[in-house]
Amino acid sequence: MAEKIIMFFRYYVPRFLCPNLSFRISRPSNRHYHKLNHNDTQTQVSVKQKPSSFITDTEIQSEFSHHAPGIARINNGSFGCCPASVISSLHQWQLKLLRQPDDFYLNELPNGILESRTVIKDLINADDVEEVSIVDNVSTAVAIVLKQTAWSFVEGKFDKGDAVIMFRCTYGAVKNSIKAYFLRAGGYAIEVPFNFPVTSNEEIVNEFKTALRREKGIGRRVRLAVIDHVTCMPSFVMPVKELVKICKEEGVEQVLVDAAHAVGCVDVDMNEIRADFYTGNLYKWFFCPPAVAFLYCRKSVMTHLDLHHPVVSHDYGNGLVKETGWVGTRDYSPYLVLPSVMEFVNRFEGGAEGIRNRNHDAVVEMGKMLAEAWGTNLGCPPEMCSSMVMVGLPACLGVLSDEDAMKLWELLCKKFSVEVKIHYQNPKDGELAPITGYVRICHQIYNKFEDYCRLRDAINQLVRDGFNCGNLEIMRPEEVGPTNDR
Amino acid sequence: MASSPDHHLNGDPKTHISKKPKLSPTFITAAEIAAEFSHHDPNVARINNGSFGSCPASVIEAQQRWQLKYLAQPDHFYFNELKKGIHQSRTIIKELINADHVDEVSIVDNATTAAAIVLQQTAWGFSERKFDKGDAVVMLHYAYGAVKKSIEAYVTRAGGYVIEVPLPFPLKSNDEIIAEFKKALERGKANGRRVRLAVIDHITSMPCVVIPVEELVKICREEGVDQIFVDAAHSIGCTDVDMKRIGADYYTSNLHKWFFCPPSIAFLYCRKSPKCPELHHPVVSHEYGNGLAIESAWIGTRDYSPQLVVPSVLEFINRFEGGIEGIKKRNHETVVEMGQMLAKAWGTHLGCPPEMCASMIMIGLPACLGILSEKDTHKLRTHLREKFGVEVPIYFRPPKNGEVESINGYCRISHQVYNKVDDYYKFRDAINQLVSEGFTCAQLSS
Repeated sequence: MAEKIIMFFRYYVPRFLCPNLSFRISRPSNRHYHKLNHNDTQTQVSVKQKPSSFITDTEIQSEFSHHAPGIARINNGSFGCCPASVISSLHQWQLKLLRQPDDFYLNELPNGILESRTVIKDLINADDVEEVSIVDNVSTAVAIVLKQTAWSFVEGKFDKGDAVIMFRCTYGAVKNSIKAYFLRAGGYAIEVPFNFPVTSNEEIVNEFKTALRREKGIGRRVRLAVIDHVTCMPSFVMPVKELVKICKEEGVEQVLVDAAHAVGCVDVDMNEIRADFYTGNLYKWFFCPPAVAFLYCRKSVMTHLDLHHPVVSHDYGNGLVKETGWVGTRDYSPYLVLPSVMEFVNRFEGGAEGIRNRNHDAVVEMGKMLAEAWGTNLGCPPEMCSSMVMVGLPACLGVLSDEDAMKLWELLCKKFSVEVKIHYQNPKDGELAPITGYVRICHQIYNKFEDYCRLRDAINQLVRDGFNCGNLEIMRPEEVGPTNDR
Repeated sequence: MASSPDHHLNGDPKTHISKKPKLSPTFITAAEIAAEFSHHDPNVARINNGSFGSCPASVIEAQQRWQLKYLAQPDHFYFNELKKGIHQSRTIIKELINADHVDEVSIVDNATTAAAIVLQQTAWGFSERKFDKGDAVVMLHYAYGAVKKSIEAYVTRAGGYVIEVPLPFPLKSNDEIIAEFKKALERGKANGRRVRLAVIDHITSMPCVVIPVEELVKICREEGVDQIFVDAAHSIGCTDVDMKRIGADYYTSNLHKWFFCPPSIAFLYCRKSPKCPELHHPVVSHEYGNGLAIESAWIGTRDYSPQLVVPSVLEFINRFEGGIEGIKKRNHETVVEMGQMLAKAWGTHLGCPPEMCASMIMIGLPACLGILSEKDTHKLRTHLREKFGVEVPIYFRPPKNGEVESINGYCRISHQVYNKVDDYYKFRDAINQLVSEGFTCAQLSS
């Protein structure tokens, strides 16, 4: 009870009562969200902040006032969010394009993309802006990397049966891309299992090492490793730095880190992680509109690999950066708002890092609150969480399949106005009364304590009502979306 | 301002939007048209609709409503609105282009993407040994530069042999095109080669002419070409587009050029045929293997709003007398008239007969301007934009052997509903001024 009172105070009572809270009351800052004049560019992540002008809670609510009211939106991980000031910047860019497209594409677009790439380069601590290409989304980046492996098979650089290694929880669309390119061209896929709930980085690392060494032991050449930074479902933070190190030690030629969630959610440092390829979406946790992402390619790798955007245009052969900067007539405005996003992010205390830390702390707190309320557990230790955490659902709800998970998701959405993803976890052999259903809760700056209370109460009500997924009717097939949505 | 009903935003499965324009005399007025395009830069004579198209304010508004709908609750939008909306757009397009079945219609970002989709499967054909190394792909010399690069990236790289069909310019008749095409096919079949794919423009970009695609497709069928891909980037809203009449295997056109959609949206039509192999979108996502139309409708998180406004665009078009047919006809007549006016004013000539034009036309520029290279065309274009406020692309035509004092520079003017006769006068006067000043491209810095 005391904990509940404290949490109530933390989220509802003005900050002067709780000095440890994230957002301070401040006078509204002058808003200047977007510089259309490319001469005064903001190319550096601002580190200096004025304490007296941090964004206020009211301003935050106003920035997200376009979110559907009455929904507990605790699934930021799937589609992200975009504040009103960035949407406004987006529209300004769109109107600029429509006003005089020839001039825009020739004279504005290249500069705008370079500005955005420079912002990203600083965010991820890359050495050189030439290592950073902007693409629509991680799915596109993955296609770029995998296509060059397909050509390697076709052109005889790789032999039939050479392998790609990935974890079993690799995102479904990425597995499809591996099938469409790597496997179709003659490759072989190694899937590394792991236990969930996860208990430590060591167990993940050991599973990976074991699988890798076993395959090498039977003479398999491992050409590519695809490793998540933050897994989708079930969600936790992978020890990427260690995994990349092992790959290099064991002679894996190329390492692609699928970091769809990472930027804005965990620390992202190319010099620390040292992967060959690293791709992340910016519309999930970095306040960009749909859709913009980046593909980082280490310089040393670019010199001997032939990477191309699959949509071939005038700049084919001029390097990936140029190729991705023009993929035919498009509305490139999502690519251009990075400076405006930086302005937004820097209105928060501690900027992007401050937001990340507070999201992490809040989601862990909420996760523990829910686990306690339901008598269940978290899916991983807090230090392996990002801004998302898996929380076990009471076993009596009977989540016994992916279909059950979808049914429960739909029920929570339609009956309780809670938007949250549900994960079905296969029980381990011999486990008694295991927890097989997990929710993935997210915390982003627009979330409120009551969002999580609503989820807590909804589940408690279902338990009280004796609800079981087996009782729900089968949904029509068209209502069942991809089971492994981000 | 145009009315903007919300019925299509409420998930109303109105799959048959009337193609018929209004009969009663409440057609859009000149003042309303001007208002619809008031976001265009008023200082620019925008006579280059062909490059990047145009989008009226009422459609932009509809697009922003879709964007906000998504942002309000993206999960709900993804599961309940997106598929329906895309299906509705596809259904409208299917009717517009006289396709047999909506399954034949996929929506993609642009014709460049469509080309990559078709050519990727050709590349697999070579890589998976369905085709022999050296089998041919035929394309026009005037194929769009990006498409030529795509052919290089997929066909040449995979072992295919590329044949370019040379075409004269200026052109006098369709017969010239047909004759050259037939010759190229012969070359393609030489030494026991198979011609696996013919890539044919419907309307070439630069220089711009309407190609007799129906006849060329017929010749391809007679000569045993495996697959025919028509790159019709400009066509829809510009010339007649009838899949059954044209008879190609694949046909793509941008809707953001001449069909008033915002950037960017195109369709790729794939004839339903047991011989046609499975095509895939290069950006692989959850829907891989469910057919191209379904794959293309979800290529990861994106802003799909340009693909969802097709019903709003049709409403806009039907405010014009004769609907899209009326717009096409008037654009054609006006651009020919303006072309003839300019040719007369400059003492030059058109690049092809009026019947080989659609809503764009090529006009020779006075030889004294000294357009002697492609670089000169870029310089002159920039000069016209910056000094005279005229936006128009220029084409360099290399002189043939023995030609003396030929016209080597041609401009491509477009006409769309927002254009005014003053736009063309501004251009006429700019060129006349350059001539009277003794201007040559050599005077411009690189």
